[in-house]
Amino acid sequence: MSQSSDDIFIDSSTSNDYFTFSSSSPKSIISMKCGQELAHDALCSSLCPTKSASFSISENGDSDRNKHGIRKPSVLDEKALREDDTVLVRDQRIETISRSYQVILESIGEDPLRQGLLKTPKRAAEALVFFTKGYEQTIRDVVSDAVFDEECENMVVVKEIDIYSLCEHHMVPFFGKVSVGYLPNKRVLGLSKIARICEVFSRRLQVQERLTRQIAEAIAEAIQPRGVAVIVECLHMCMVMRGAQKVNSRTTTSAMLGVFREDPKSREEFLSLGRITPF
Amino acid sequence: MTSEQSDDDIFIDSTISKAHRFFPPSSPKPITTKRNHEASHDTISPLIRQIKSASLSIGENGENERTVHNRRRPSVLDEKALREADTETVREQRIDAISRSYQDILQSIGEDPSRQGLLKTAKRAAEALVFFTKGYEQSIRDVVSDAIFDEECENMVVVKEIDMYSLCEHHMVPFFGKVSVGYLPNKRVLGLSKIARIVEVFSRRLQVQERLTRQIAEAIAEAIEPRGVAVIIECLHMCMIMRGAQKVNSRTTTSAMLGEFREDPKTREEFLTLGRIKPF
Repeated sequence: MSQSSDDIFIDSSTSNDYFTFSSSSPKSIISMKCGQELAHDALCSSLCPTKSASFSISENGDSDRNKHGIRKPSVLDEKALREDDTVLVRDQRIETISRSYQVILESIGEDPLRQGLLKTPKRAAEALVFFTKGYEQTIRDVVSDAVFDEECENMVVVKEIDIYSLCEHHMVPFFGKVSVGYLPNKRVLGLSKIARICEVFSRRLQVQERLTRQIAEAIAEAIQPRGVAVIVECLHMCMVMRGAQKVNSRTTTSAMLGVFREDPKSREEFLSLGRITPF
Repeated sequence: MTSEQSDDDIFIDSTISKAHRFFPPSSPKPITTKRNHEASHDTISPLIRQIKSASLSIGENGENERTVHNRRRPSVLDEKALREADTETVREQRIDAISRSYQDILQSIGEDPSRQGLLKTAKRAAEALVFFTKGYEQSIRDVVSDAIFDEECENMVVVKEIDMYSLCEHHMVPFFGKVSVGYLPNKRVLGLSKIARIVEVFSRRLQVQERLTRQIAEAIAEAIEPRGVAVIIECLHMCMIMRGAQKVNSRTTTSAMLGEFREDPKTREEFLTLGRIKPF
């Protein structure tokens, strides 16, 4: 019964964000989630209002479903679009992208045979595959077993993690820093795993708002803390190099879950500990 | 005259002048425009000849002998702009072709091009790329136009920290930074915004930072024939930061010193102080 409800949930037009799943393989999502249902049902109850809260603004239908106990697709187990790539498939991807770049070089008016451009399609293709390597790993693999039991009750902040991402609207880089804070609930996460989570989500075609939310939700799911806070401050080349051409403008987004959303003092403490200095 | 043209042909095809192969080989004809300028080139102050040969003396042995025989290097000012002849239709066709390529790329990286965020990405990315390479649409002579003025100014003119955004021609990934330009006028000055426009036209292309620096210096040298030109460029290369070596704080600096800036260390020092690029 829950499986068919989940089908409905995934196809719901309110959850557009989850269409990043390659539409060719919805089955794996559902079967994985069934395995996780038990773990999710045992989720700390304070996190349930967290999930509906983080969606309360834009997606009305969601809150209703959460009340009925239907889980949102797990961020940890979200299928990685290129996870099943063999070396052969990867080479095929690079071949195809190289050919596309060759056409692009001719179309912009350049001479692809001049010395400087001879190997550019291949290099550009490999660069692009590198910039989107976040599609190759699931978060569960990244986090693996770096979840530890600790009596720590105070805020943990990992600040100013450099991130580099690609704007999904123009395929132009945006980059900046992420500060992450959480209030542990008997479990802490390996510190480098926080940076790895940021890396996996940022090395994709992204929108800064979604990136912020995904990082927060991944940490929330991994260790079920009392609260998670993430701020991301970036320079968008699509805005600096073209379009509005505003050179000094930076975009800041944040995600506050749990205690950070409810308690202004916790939020304030995080904002001062994790403050991103101008870069 | 015809023998001069064929000599120029030899000059351009010389393996030594590889740097000039960014002329699209499909249109060698524009060499004829150089003939019109041969006359003005012949009246160039001897310093420009010196500047031109000096800037090549290090790497290219054969070159010095050729310049001694008064072969002109292809003029930077009149270099044919690759997309100068574009009509609206041609431009639309370019964007269509590039959009289709980007659509293929989106599928090849594993993404789903029909999801909401990516629906119009191919078109937007194509238009962005055409904008990033709009330097191909103008010749420098058009940019400089008639903003050359006679002035009695004898002291150094420095325009510093001009923001610049370009695309690395090896990875097609942005590199960006600042340019400082200085020159010692010889009775003629260039409109200040034209200096920034020259930087813009050369940087909005698939570039290599070294070549960009040289082109800016040579364009200014040709336009107003000053006593010397100096250009420094300091950039962050995303191809080095976002991938590959992944060195986050490293900046690349290149410079071009022509004329008095090359000969006189004190002049060079003055420029490096006045035009110093602060960390960004």
